[in-house]
Amino acid sequence: MKAVLSYLKPYKWFAIIALGFMLVELAAELVQPLIIAKIIDNGVVSKDFHVISTWGCALIGIALVSFSSGIANTYFSSHAAQSFAFELRNALFSKIQSFSMATFLKYPASGLITRLTNDVQQVQSVLFMSLRIMLRAPLSVVLSLMMAFFVNAKMATILLIGTPILAALLLLIVKKGTRLFGQVQSSLDRLNRTLQESLQAIYLVKAFMRNSYEMDKFHRVAEDLKMDTMKALRIMELMMPSMAFVLNVSLLFVIWYGAREVGMNQAQVGELVAVVNYALRITGYFGMFAFILNGFSRAKASSERMAEILVVEEGLEKDVARSRKAEAMPEDKGALRFEKVSFVYPNTTKPVLQDISFEVKKGEKLAIMGATGSGKSTLLSLIPRFYEPTRGEIFVGGRNIREWPLKELRGMIGYVPQKSLLFTGSIEDNVKWGKPDAAHDEVVVAAKMAQIHDTIVQFPEQYKTKVGQKGVNLSGGQKQRLSIARALIRKPQILILDDSTSALDVKTEAALWDALKGTDATMLVVTQKIHTAKEADRILLLEEGKMAAMGTHEELMKNSGLYRQIARTQEEKVGEE
Amino acid sequence: MMEFIKKPFGYEPVLTKEDLRTAGKKKGPRAGDWKRTLLSIWQLVDEQRGLLITVFLMVIISSVAGLLGPFLIGRMIDEFVIPKEFQRMPPFIALLIGVYIVYAVTLFLQNYWMVGIAQTVVYKMRTGAFGHLLKLPISYFDKSQHGQIMSRLTNDIDTVSTTLNSSFIQVFSSILTLAGTIMVMLYLSPILTLITMIVIPLMFTAMRWITKRTGKLFKAQQAVLGDLNGMIEETISGQSIVKAFSREEHVKREFYEKSRQLRNVGFWALVYSGYIPKVFNFLNNVSFAIIAGIGGIFAYQGWVTIGTIVVFAEYARQFTRPLNELANQINTVLSAIAGAERVFAIMDEKVEEDEGELPANYQIRGEVEFRNVSFKYESEDKTDTVQNLNFHVQPGQTVALVGPTGAGKTTTMMLIARFYDANQGEVLIDGINIRDYKRETLRRQMAFVLQDPFLFEATVRENIRYGRLDATDEEVVEAAKKANAHDFIMKLPYGYDTVLKADGSEISQGQKQLLAIARAFVANPAILLLDEATSSIDTVTEMKIQEALEELMKGRTSFVIAHRLNTVRHADLVLVLKEGRIAEAGSQQELIKKNGIYANMLKQSKGAAPL
Repeated sequence: MKAVLSYLKPYKWFAIIALGFMLVELAAELVQPLIIAKIIDNGVVSKDFHVISTWGCALIGIALVSFSSGIANTYFSSHAAQSFAFELRNALFSKIQSFSMATFLKYPASGLITRLTNDVQQVQSVLFMSLRIMLRAPLSVVLSLMMAFFVNAKMATILLIGTPILAALLLLIVKKGTRLFGQVQSSLDRLNRTLQESLQAIYLVKAFMRNSYEMDKFHRVAEDLKMDTMKALRIMELMMPSMAFVLNVSLLFVIWYGAREVGMNQAQVGELVAVVNYALRITGYFGMFAFILNGFSRAKASSERMAEILVVEEGLEKDVARSRKAEAMPEDKGALRFEKVSFVYPNTTKPVLQDISFEVKKGEKLAIMGATGSGKSTLLSLIPRFYEPTRGEIFVGGRNIREWPLKELRGMIGYVPQKSLLFTGSIEDNVKWGKPDAAHDEVVVAAKMAQIHDTIVQFPEQYKTKVGQKGVNLSGGQKQRLSIARALIRKPQILILDDSTSALDVKTEAALWDALKGTDATMLVVTQKIHTAKEADRILLLEEGKMAAMGTHEELMKNSGLYRQIARTQEEKVGEE
Repeated sequence: MMEFIKKPFGYEPVLTKEDLRTAGKKKGPRAGDWKRTLLSIWQLVDEQRGLLITVFLMVIISSVAGLLGPFLIGRMIDEFVIPKEFQRMPPFIALLIGVYIVYAVTLFLQNYWMVGIAQTVVYKMRTGAFGHLLKLPISYFDKSQHGQIMSRLTNDIDTVSTTLNSSFIQVFSSILTLAGTIMVMLYLSPILTLITMIVIPLMFTAMRWITKRTGKLFKAQQAVLGDLNGMIEETISGQSIVKAFSREEHVKREFYEKSRQLRNVGFWALVYSGYIPKVFNFLNNVSFAIIAGIGGIFAYQGWVTIGTIVVFAEYARQFTRPLNELANQINTVLSAIAGAERVFAIMDEKVEEDEGELPANYQIRGEVEFRNVSFKYESEDKTDTVQNLNFHVQPGQTVALVGPTGAGKTTTMMLIARFYDANQGEVLIDGINIRDYKRETLRRQMAFVLQDPFLFEATVRENIRYGRLDATDEEVVEAAKKANAHDFIMKLPYGYDTVLKADGSEISQGQKQLLAIARAFVANPAILLLDEATSSIDTVTEMKIQEALEELMKGRTSFVIAHRLNTVRHADLVLVLKEGRIAEAGSQQELIKKNGIYANMLKQSKGAAPL
């Protein structure tokens, strides 16, 4: 709760002013009955129009004061609540952005989405309500109690006999409620997850006509959410009846005791009536009380969930603060060296990479081959430091990648993932992802090099064509080439292509490789095709996470049985045609 | 200091004059929308209407018990305490305790049941919307962000949930109190009642002024929230790209901007809806002053007694309280309507037509024919993606679709599976137009391996079984063996019971492909659609799959897209597509003889592509 509330700090004065206005409003409301009494007693009863008009005007004047403080309160509390939510949301988002990939994967995406929207909304609306009405109920209760004590302390004390029981009960309910509301939010996470998965797999769902299967899955999570919500809310509904009952029974004790006192002439009937009246007034605020406690439990549950993210200190991307540009070695910035690198994914035991050592010179082209699951993609993802090697070191430009400022390190790398991922926006926006300040000409150059320019200009809106989740239907090959263009626009020192040409036809692919010859980037290319590998300066062959062989095509043909086998099968296939 | 104080008043306005003008003018249809939305929600209450009536009964009982308590206490003080007849008190106290118990129990029960009713309605709304979503044509998903759709089923429905939980009961009990108070007031003095009522038109005017704004603002707020949700979903799903390109700062800025918009709209929604209780309080006080003034004149004229005015003034005060509560509820209800409208908007989207009259158990032989088929995607407005396609495939034949990317190969497949309907011409299967099939009939007998193999966050076994839900464990293993996936599955920590993660970090892209192929095996289809099925699998595995696929293709009509021409060498028919048209068609031998585009492509693939 503390971690979350700290985001209210910059706005605490607005909150305090809002509360101040609320007090003014409350005070005006308290004065009103006195004026009304004055109008009736001195005006209406004695038929004195002067009194009626004077005090009537005073009443309207006070009403105006109360009205304007009320409105002012609305502005200040809206500002405080919305700004608090704004800061909180932004803090959560930037915390998530600072997570390392390993930490990021610990939290399901759906859980993060719920926290950023739903949980923030919960806390914000409770804060807003608090600033407007929260103090009102407790203040009124305290005031009424004080008045009761003032009238007759003994009777007022009896009124409080149920309080310990009540306090214990409420505490229990709030505690239980908080836990249950926490469950509601995690059920919402699961619902979000199921929803997201169905949407991502919509082609598959439709292809296999799995509507009812997906429906069943969704029904289950929706049912869970329903049950959890009902449980939580129903517990909270216990509050008001139990508060009313305890106070009402205490009231009977007061009357019983008061009657005895009156009988013994130790108290006036008027005193008893007054205490009873104050007690009844207190009951009127219970609805609001229950409402507040309900909101509090909900907000607490949501806060705890958000705090989980906000307090994460471990597993953020570790960055060296200072750029050591002065010592940079521009000559062989593109050089890459792996030294005995091993890697195990977090929370798993099986090593994906074992003892990998190799060196690539600047401008050299290394092809990486190996069966599916041999660790090719993992190896590539270590270079931009998505993950830290479990053992061993990686050097870029002669410097350990841990010592590179992340931004500089990643700035040198053009990464093209296996699965092309585009974002909602125009084609130009997507290519510019690689270099936000790029001019249009640069975008075109990159697109030409990636062999996608001709396709783009055929679209009616050309570079302004919308792509991504809300965009046009691009074919797999078009998406791949766009994501290649996105990498090329940065003029990377190191270009990483993770089998990113699989959907290209032979002609286009050939043209692409041709165009890439023009760059002096160091290239790491995952490929399955011998004829592609052959053209590389050297080939790294992986087998189950270990280096099986490394060398030129000719060397491997001579030394590696595995490579020869792959080559033979591919030769055969071509031969058959 | 002044700067500081000005801040809460410095928000940029969201509603333009234009907005408000049209809001006023289009009152008719907009009011109709509300009614329709409320009616739709009411229909979801359905079989729970009996329970709802019980809830209302409980509200009546608890209201009566709530009033009875103080009344009986007054009587007790008057009749026993003041005359000091204490010995007669105990039975009366017992009665009171009874009333208190009834009060507490009915209060609890009404809320208990109401929560049940509300959550059931919300559940129905959510699952109904989701069910409808699944029936929407693929083109709907082409133009919507996932996160935005998700927001409708979570954040928007949440506003409905909150409102239903509390507002129903409060609205009802406010109306009860209001009716009661008005009756007493009428009984005391009809004329003064009428005078009190003169503030009501004022209240309505104020209400109109406010709801005209809040209605729009709530809707805008939900829309911005949906937008934000869409952005979050996309960014989080593509986090690795964000990192690779060091775009954290940029996406943060983009997020802050959307977050700021939400703050702005949210601020105005809160401010305007916050006006309501304040305005009502104010009018309440004004009405009191009027009563005192006019009442004074009346008393002076001797038309009413002073006692009546005193009592009446008190009731007039009470009169506005339920009105105030109602007004507050109207705001909550408005925000819920804004949410509900967005949910029902999904329901208003036209579903995929599915009026095929062919019996569901129709056995497809696998003859496929395209007659003058043209198609373009909704979002693209220039040329047709495929134009005038004509071809005829006999059952059991293999068709290879080749051509440069963007030539329309995938689109052709989509048309066979009826993901989209052709704009012109017709697609026939077994000589019957595919529009005459039920989708279920059609797709049950087809199997797909799509470009991006998608795996669910479930066990390997469940993922394979997705191809045919009633497949036995043995059949799943059999299919995995055929797809050459068995070996690597057995190496996973829990074999077939290994739960795959959403990001698929434990298995490689190629392995995903293998599972997708196993999924197609288990489906045992009459028509097989393979899109890039073998593109990211290493050569050794690819060879084995090739054999298995050839085995699977026997007796089945197969359409294969593959860029490596050697994988389609056994095709009976090769369709060379170029810019959406069939450029060449024929058997491989025929095309080689023809020495056209295909022959050229073949030559290129043999001469190794340079790196």
